Amino acid sequence: MKVDVALFASLSEYHSVDGDTRTRTYDLAEGTTIADLISVLGLPDQPRIVFVDSRHAEESAPLHEGQRLAIFPPVAGG
Amino acid sequence: MRYLLRVNMSDLTITKEDLPAGWARYGGRALTSAIVFAEVPPTADPLGADNVLVFAPGLLGGTNTPNGGRLSVGAKSPLTGGIKESNSGGQAANALGRLEIAAIIVTGKPADPDARYMLTIEADGSASLSRVDEWAGVQNYALADMIKATRPEDDRYSTITNGPAGEAGLKASGIAVSDMKGLPNRFAGRGGMGAVMGSKGLKAIVVSDKGVGTPAHADKEAFSAALKTFSSALKEHPVSGQGLPTYGTNVLTNILSEAGGLPTRNFSEGSFEGAEATSGERMREVTLERGGDVSHGCHTGCVIQCSRYYVDKDGHYKTKGPEYETVWSFGADCGIDDLDDIAELDRICGEFGLDTIEMGATMAVYMDSGKIAFGDGPAAIAALRSIFEGGEPGRVLGDGAEATGKAFGVAHIPVVKHQALPAYDPRAVQGIGVTYATSTMGADHTAGYTVATNILKVGGDVDPLKAEGQAELSRNLQIATAMLDALGFCIFVAFPVLDIPEAFNAIFEMTEAHTGQPWDADALMQVGKETLVYEKLFNDRAGFGPADDRLPEFFKNVELPPHNIKFMVSDADLDSVYDFVPEVAAQMGLE
Repeated sequence: MKVDVALFASLSEYHSVDGDTRTRTYDLAEGTTIADLISVLGLPDQPRIVFVDSRHAEESAPLHEGQRLAIFPPVAGG
Repeated sequence: MRYLLRVNMSDLTITKEDLPAGWARYGGRALTSAIVFAEVPPTADPLGADNVLVFAPGLLGGTNTPNGGRLSVGAKSPLTGGIKESNSGGQAANALGRLEIAAIIVTGKPADPDARYMLTIEADGSASLSRVDEWAGVQNYALADMIKATRPEDDRYSTITNGPAGEAGLKASGIAVSDMKGLPNRFAGRGGMGAVMGSKGLKAIVVSDKGVGTPAHADKEAFSAALKTFSSALKEHPVSGQGLPTYGTNVLTNILSEAGGLPTRNFSEGSFEGAEATSGERMREVTLERGGDVSHGCHTGCVIQCSRYYVDKDGHYKTKGPEYETVWSFGADCGIDDLDDIAELDRICGEFGLDTIEMGATMAVYMDSGKIAFGDGPAAIAALRSIFEGGEPGRVLGDGAEATGKAFGVAHIPVVKHQALPAYDPRAVQGIGVTYATSTMGADHTAGYTVATNILKVGGDVDPLKAEGQAELSRNLQIATAMLDALGFCIFVAFPVLDIPEAFNAIFEMTEAHTGQPWDADALMQVGKETLVYEKLFNDRAGFGPADDRLPEFFKNVELPPHNIKFMVSDADLDSVYDFVPEVAAQMGLE
């Protein structure tokens, strides 16, 4: 299954992307969870903010074909 | 001893007054709101002699308190018609605090409308008004240079200046405050405070603190210990210690777009295809490529360091930030994805003295009328310049989103209490909708920043797409924010304070050690509540009622993509937010 994955702020450097986006399409095995992908990407062990298709998601959730996963380190502003 | 400096612009007298004992626990917003409540008739003309303009550092202003150097500017607002506290960074609060000036209260109005004055406060505490009629109409950066020419070379001073927008009485005008390099790029932007300053003929305030030390602490050792704990928390928390210093406030553009809560093209969509091009990550890359500065504090004592200088393609300083709210207002909300266009719009606002939140939202409303196209940066720049340089649409833009929307027949005008909504759509971030609707300030994200808990998962987790829990969340944050504003804190300290109990305790420990009076958590929150009581009662007496504590109808009737959701918090929930007011007012002997 194909999933678009976007990594932001300090996490951007954990994968290479094409063009002016922070997004890369991954071909993943069915049943892959967000946590599985985070492990493969080697993201640092720290709190994260995770969205799947614009909604907050738990890292234990399985990914599905065509979804967009966005992961941020703890950030805020205002 | 802290004191009040009263400047009467009717008879041009300046007097020093003792701080009333009842206000000894107040600084910043608590003091500006208490003074406006006590001295301004609620139905007064905001640009008349009966209004006052108050500048107050926080209770801890002038000390070395980390991120404790914010300035509160209070008055009756010509934009909202209610009470206003507009909050700014920059150096002035630190200087006023060092001089132990609890507040400058500017009253009255000169008989000659063409007169311009500069108030100068010297390091020895002496204060004087000088006539500067030749500075009429001068923009903020040139004004900073003119002031510099009047000062000794080895002086250390800060400025508070009013651009042409304030002199013209525009409702979107703000007041500029100089940063640590003397650039007039920090703003008390919201609510038309520049117009109030302009109505009083006050073009500039200069505060010299050369050679003046920090105010003495009642218990220096205890203060230092609490300060150390607080400073460590700010540096350790990932938001204040890493995210903000690295990417600045604009780190929010991508996350709000991903969350579907970034108001795009006049609040018609929640995600912006140009988010990445205007993001904090991209802005950092561009700024570094051009040799700009990507991290510094806006005032002495800042340890978060989220300020930055944007430079043009030739590496020359263009403007500060731009901050997230500005990048959003002129970016996503106008459909503009060019950072240089956004920086130019920010600079023009800085020169004229205009609130970038109000002006970006205004430009989006103007674009929604079809007069110029969404996404057309050069047309937006020309329209903004037209306020002072002629052409269409001209002056009306400077009176804000509501005035512009009415003038051009726009259906969706995103305002509460006549003030434009900031950078979070209340349909995708329901909690911030409660704050927008109920805040005494009009639509104001800083008044109770539920985005922290709704989106960023700081200080808990309340689902942004549901109505449940939002009223209580907003109430608690509005009280806590009023407290932080009273002490003079940058509200970004809230991120570690919400997550680290020791950081919260350090606030009352520092306050107690500095003042020598007993403080605890309840006392802190009481000051927050009392501040809101002054503000709510003032607004009630000015004629505001429950109908004013509502979002515009389209947020309740029109679904926002991508979530396709409406604002769902009930009117009863909105009306419950200020339910603590009668009890606290009675404790204060009010009502």
